Amino acid sequence: MVSKVDRVDPREIQSLQLYLNEYRQQAEIFSQQLAFLEDGRMEAIAAIETLQSLSASPENTVLLQIGSGVSVRAKVPEPDRILVNIGAEVVVEKQNAAAQDYLKDRVTEMEASAKKVAETLERIRSQVNEIAKRIDLAYQQAQMQAAGSPMTPISPKRPTTREED
Amino acid sequence: MSSALSPKVQNQIAMLQQMQQQMQTIAAQKAQYEMAVREAKRATEELHDVPDDAPVFMSVGTVMMEKKKEDVLKNLTDKIETLELRIKSLEKQEGMLSGKFEQLQSQIKQALEGKAQGAS
Repeated sequence: MVSKVDRVDPREIQSLQLYLNEYRQQAEIFSQQLAFLEDGRMEAIAAIETLQSLSASPENTVLLQIGSGVSVRAKVPEPDRILVNIGAEVVVEKQNAAAQDYLKDRVTEMEASAKKVAETLERIRSQVNEIAKRIDLAYQQAQMQAAGSPMTPISPKRPTTREED
Repeated sequence: MSSALSPKVQNQIAMLQQMQQQMQTIAAQKAQYEMAVREAKRATEELHDVPDDAPVFMSVGTVMMEKKKEDVLKNLTDKIETLELRIKSLEKQEGMLSGKFEQLQSQIKQALEGKAQGAS
């Protein structure tokens, strides 16, 4: 198989393979970012739901998880005094509604970021598909050469991304 | 392939790789500091929006301690200044390394081109 490919132009295939690996690595990083953003979004939505429930029924007992599947019964004495971590190791007390608004803003921001990341990921995936097709074409040409058909050169140009345009 | 290169060029290539690693380390550290600055600036903005008498807590060792809003704001401002200074210092290092890197790269290129011409 390799000897057949050598007759096409091994440098073209090598270069395409390098781009393919590079784009796949990038796609992996963006996928992880997307998953991270989605986790953050879901966590914030769950926190909003918790705050709403605490506000609606402050007298109810909650189960406070202490690890290993073990919980203790607890009462939230002041469900309108919420402590919110605003980053940089700073925590601010907010009222329940204000804390919910803060979290809703974070959710909106994370959704906007996730949209951008998803678009970039989509572009990278289409590049990956394009390069994979070119590599397939090169292999097909190698097979045709082996069968004695004339060779058509494959385009060695690097596929462009929107950022490069 | 490397066995056909002179020891001097081999040494230069090793130095180039080392420089590349140093540049990557600096870039990673810079990115980390830049993120910390963004986070601190954001926390500062958020703090400006809360009432002056709102309880504010800051991480001190292993506990969160209640502090005055103005003290926390000052602490964050100092933190931002320190981080920005570190970023500037890293940028300087980055610039110096980048210059040396390009110089070494062109030296290696010249050496390799000379070798190729000599062989033909």
